[in-house]
Amino acid sequence: MNQRLTEEKSIYLQISQMIETDILQGVLLEEERVPSTNELAKLYTINPATAAKGINLLVEAGILYKKRGIGMFVEAGAKEKIRARRKEEFYRVRLQELLDEAKSLGITREELLERIGGSAK
Amino acid sequence: MSKLVCENLTKQYGHKTVLDHINLTLESGKIYGLIGRNGAGKTTLLSLMSNQNPISAGTATIDGQRIWENPKALSRICFSRELNLSAESALSSYTLKAYLRAAETYLPHWDKDMAGRLLELFGLEKKKKLGKLSKGMLSMVTILVAMASKAEFTFLDEPVAGLDVVAREQFYQLLLEEYTETGRTFVLSTHIIEEAADVMEEVIILDRGKILLKENTQELVDRARYVTGLADQVDCATAGLPCHHVENIGRSKAVTVLLPAGEDINPGYDVTVQPVNLQKLFVALCGEEVHR
Repeated sequence: MNQRLTEEKSIYLQISQMIETDILQGVLLEEERVPSTNELAKLYTINPATAAKGINLLVEAGILYKKRGIGMFVEAGAKEKIRARRKEEFYRVRLQELLDEAKSLGITREELLERIGGSAK
Repeated sequence: MSKLVCENLTKQYGHKTVLDHINLTLESGKIYGLIGRNGAGKTTLLSLMSNQNPISAGTATIDGQRIWENPKALSRICFSRELNLSAESALSSYTLKAYLRAAETYLPHWDKDMAGRLLELFGLEKKKKLGKLSKGMLSMVTILVAMASKAEFTFLDEPVAGLDVVAREQFYQLLLEEYTETGRTFVLSTHIIEEAADVMEEVIILDRGKILLKENTQELVDRARYVTGLADQVDCATAGLPCHHVENIGRSKAVTVLLPAGEDINPGYDVTVQPVNLQKLFVALCGEEVHR
């Protein structure tokens, strides 16, 4: 919860991504309570409705669940779920961006593979 | 749920129409941002909704009851005005203590404990005369009165004007704390748009006496795009979409697009598409006339 908000993306998306990152990094553990929308609102100086929107995205994705009267908790297996989704996104979005950029710079397939082989150790 | 409703609310000063048939509904339990250029009518609108200024035409009601000269309706509303004290102003010779005592008499839900806490938080001295306070301190007084009024509908006009960065941050925190605890409705007018944008659930843009739009802040910002590239590519990518603030620089062109809900930039053209923040969107919308 120590990350900062940027202007590049919707606030509620950033809120949900920050919580995900915290789960991935072990800042938030499975079956542990996450900050409430009001706590998030005060922490990031944002409207609670926006914080709630971010939380709801994670509920819909099965990352968080609600314990009535207590708060929002991290689902068991959430970490693996996030990792799998981000991995899929990495291949689908980031890798494609990398390939597009390489293509527009005239970098050959061999050159690229050699570089990846060289730095991925 | 309570509602404050303006219907065809109009204000004229002589022949000049300052507010022109305003239709606006404020729901309880939200923080609204009211933005507009100087002279757009923000302060007039807030004063009309709080019985501080007579209405020329139309109505302002709270849960169906007229606000004008209606003590019952008024007990639910507080408009803490920006204090602009000239040396001749009668208020200048008031001490802060006397001013707060007047507020206490006038505002039926006054929270004396909170007023005391905020005096301390802001470091304000009760013995000081209002005329001796700096612009920032006067803003703190306005905020204090608004918060301690505990009114269901609270209007703040330029609350952060003159406050330093730390005090502004303090104000937003205070506002969110009070809001999350009580669910009071706040309307906040401000020129420091970007800073306050994330705090406002809905934004109301007032332009030359008319409501230009009222929308969930996040949803509005999500619809805005800044499109740049070769002029003909930009034209194709944005054809049929509402474009604002068109800039031509040599062969390149830049436009701010406010996408209709569910639509996107026309695909297949070589353009750069970037997000737009509320402040830039406001400038694009109110800085000049709409182009298409």
